Amino acid sequence: MTTDFVTPARRVAVAVCLVWGLVVGALVVRTWIRAEDALAAQEGRSVAASFGPDFQPTRLPVRTPVAAGRVANVVRTMERQIGPAANRIAESERTLSLGRLWSRYVSVPVKDADEWDVVGAVVLRADWWRGVAIPLAVVLATLLVAATLGRRGVVRASEDVSTPPYFLVADAIATLTVGTTGALVLASRRLTEAAAILPPPSAQVRFDPLSLPMPGTRTLGVLLLGWCFAAACALFLCAWMASPRRSVAERRESATAWSFLAPSGVHLLVFTLGPLLFTAWLSLHPWDLLETSRPFIGLTNYRELLSDPQFWNALRNTALYTLYVPVTMVLALGAAMLLNQPLRGMRVLRAMVFLPTVVSYVAIAMVWQWIYHADYGLLNYLIRLVGGTGVDWLGNPATALVALMIVSAWVQLGYQMIVYLAGLQGIPETLLEAARLDGANAWHRFTQVTWPLLRPVSLYLLVTGIIWSFQVFALVYVMTEGGPARSTDVLVFQIYQQAWEFRRLGYASALSWVLFAILLGLTLLQWRLLNRKVEYAG
Amino acid sequence: MATVRLQQLTRKFPDGSVALAGLTLDIKHGEFLVLVGPSGCGKTTALRLIAGLDAPTSGRIVVGEEDVTDLPPGSRDVAMVFQNYALYPHFTVAENIAFPLKMRRVPAGEQQRQVREVAETLGIGELLARKPAQLSGGQRQRVALARALVRQPAVFLFDEPLSNLDAQVRASTRAELVRLHRQLGATMIFVTHDQVEAMSMAQRMAVLNKGRLEQCAAPLEVYRTPATRFTAQFVGSPSINTFDGTIEGKGSRQLFVGAVQVPVTAPPGSGTLAVRPEHLHIVPPGDGTFPVRVALVEPLGAECIVHALLGDNTEVRVRVPGLPTVATGDTVHLRIDHEAALVFDAEGRLEGRGRRP
Ligand SMILES: Nc1ncnc2c1ncn2[C@@H]1O[C@H](COP(=O)(O)OP(=O)(O)O)[C@@H](O)[C@H]1O
Ligand SMILES: [Mg+2]
Repeated sequence: MTTDFVTPARRVAVAVCLVWGLVVGALVVRTWIRAEDALAAQEGRSVAASFGPDFQPTRLPVRTPVAAGRVANVVRTMERQIGPAANRIAESERTLSLGRLWSRYVSVPVKDADEWDVVGAVVLRADWWRGVAIPLAVVLATLLVAATLGRRGVVRASEDVSTPPYFLVADAIATLTVGTTGALVLASRRLTEAAAILPPPSAQVRFDPLSLPMPGTRTLGVLLLGWCFAAACALFLCAWMASPRRSVAERRESATAWSFLAPSGVHLLVFTLGPLLFTAWLSLHPWDLLETSRPFIGLTNYRELLSDPQFWNALRNTALYTLYVPVTMVLALGAAMLLNQPLRGMRVLRAMVFLPTVVSYVAIAMVWQWIYHADYGLLNYLIRLVGGTGVDWLGNPATALVALMIVSAWVQLGYQMIVYLAGLQGIPETLLEAARLDGANAWHRFTQVTWPLLRPVSLYLLVTGIIWSFQVFALVYVMTEGGPARSTDVLVFQIYQQAWEFRRLGYASALSWVLFAILLGLTLLQWRLLNRKVEYAG
Repeated sequence: MATVRLQQLTRKFPDGSVALAGLTLDIKHGEFLVLVGPSGCGKTTALRLIAGLDAPTSGRIVVGEEDVTDLPPGSRDVAMVFQNYALYPHFTVAENIAFPLKMRRVPAGEQQRQVREVAETLGIGELLARKPAQLSGGQRQRVALARALVRQPAVFLFDEPLSNLDAQVRASTRAELVRLHRQLGATMIFVTHDQVEAMSMAQRMAVLNKGRLEQCAAPLEVYRTPATRFTAQFVGSPSINTFDGTIEGKGSRQLFVGAVQVPVTAPPGSGTLAVRPEHLHIVPPGDGTFPVRVALVEPLGAECIVHALLGDNTEVRVRVPGLPTVATGDTVHLRIDHEAALVFDAEGRLEGRGRRP
């Protein structure tokens, strides 16, 4: 019973530590980067100077860290940019330039004998992990100590319910502060080293590391966010270690659970979350896959998208296309009710209706392409048999989209039917019998009992169906390529075209995010609606 | 007149199982008849046939003067309360109760009035706006009952309506159903596998076994004079003691000879002697007594049940009033109330009784 755990003094101490930790944490990273840049710049100058006046551009050593040997612990990748490529180096960068946070590089121009023309450049890229490794190690060690101490704090205060949560990790925060202060000292030392160890390459150039340009405010923002993230991780770690259910067996159990989750977690991170964030970033930049520079252009892509009639056309087509979903649902429910009879051979029939759902969309698309063919197609053949005139189903803007919708309906029918069958079989038989006793005829049994009880199933099918139909691509790609006259151009096809045909990856990313927003909205709607469950417990 | 007559009702299923084999039963107007029997004996099947949810393979069903065998369920004047209540989960209590009226196109105002009336009768007036999922088991049961009542049918069918309730609610609902029956005077057919429930509620009980009627009579008559060995064993708890043996001798010398010997009046041949636990008495050794070893004593408060073993390890159950006076391992002597003993023939039919020596 440690009710005296929270004293005013302690309260102030915690607050000070917290602020101190945040400020110093940001300073550490900032200083460290400055030191690394200084080292890189110095090396670049050394390399450029070592070429001397009779420098032959073609003989420029590639990927040989000439200056590396001169500074312990600094290995950098060196690239050359010679000849016309050197002209791409902006005037302001001809002496020294620094890239953004993760692609920091120093370029030093290589000039001809009279020091007039720039004939090339030496580019040094810092191996970013080298710059981060040491502070990261310090932070990790600090986190570990902080977590252990935080746990002690929680255990101490666990009997005292009135203790505010941040006090539970007071020691942890204090440790973090000490740790980051240590890291700051280390970083400052490195900065001084950078200035001291390296002699200026020539007498004319006075080298002062503190005169180097600093990372911009945006970079600092990222750094600060990163720091907050690290702090949050530390707090989470404390809470995790300190939560009261930590018996040895339970801890082992959760370790096992995490180890099972880890592969799919990594997969999610690398293949879902990663690309997601990458496209978000990409949508704010133009990129044609080849250009290395991707300047930030803000919401330009989105603005362009909203004023693009192609986009609105695709959106309209996609919305129209989704109409096949409710139509198919009606058919599927009918089929499910028919196939729900306990008769011989029903299983085979159900399997047959379900079959298209498991076939590849591309294969289906090819088959239907033939069915719809203007001259040799099955459909027109049948129409001519009964005396009609054929239609070029996929070549006519008036029919192409409807033709695609029919294919989708055909594919989805089996799936929806199976889901409806499961729903029907989930309705207790006695409910329908009770309705019969209560005098309900077949129609009333359907409208009053079956249909209301199938409502969650219908809702599920409707919303997932719409979500899927917003993602239609394979059919369009194989059967119509968006044509004729863009009458079957849908959102995903637009994305594909913009990205891989027009190489506008930034714009395609913006499109993807619009689609993502629509799908997210639909999914949230589905959750909201489906959470109003129907209870079967009569 | 809401009499129900079942004539030679048979129901065979496609898989070959016979749920009912020629059930003939006359149920009087206003009677509370309990259909009782072990699980799987065809009780539910019988109810479903009467309700019209299932069609008999052969036989007729007559309600009042009308043969309803081929009528759909909605056209029979019959209401059923299901074991799982079968309330419509998406309707409120009021809508559930009103459903039969709605299907019969009763005007909305009239529906409301009747629903409220029935709900008041059953004490569920406050629950009308709730959904079934928000009710307890006992409340759901009442709603199901209300949905049957509101139709004012000639015949009520209950399929084990109490088996999903806990013991206390079950006892009170039992009493309430009996009261309701008296109040309405309607014909009720009540199915249960619980013989205690059957005994306590029935005006007449029909004992079913493997799709056949074993006996249909007032509960006490069934208890005292079971027509078959099956009925004797099914009714009464703890169940009746049976001894296999033969009937020998003639006239006043007739004697049942088996693990015990009892003078009887019955045709000679092999048979079974049955004695209820309360007709065995622990007595001092003497004439006409036999020794047993006590294997288990179940004290129940007002009485205790003594399980004992005969010399040949046949188990007998003895009902002893009051607190236990014997302990496991004791050897005690038993006497049989000869006049209360029953004798069944080899086919299990009642053929005679014990007699005073
Ligand atoms: N739909 C059916 N198909 C095949 N056999 C059935 C069916 N319904 C019931 N039976 C059989 O009929 C017998 C009687 O069933 P039932 O009337 O439900 O018994 P209970 O007396 O327990 O209510 C059981 O042996 C059961 O297996
Ligand atoms: Mg049953």
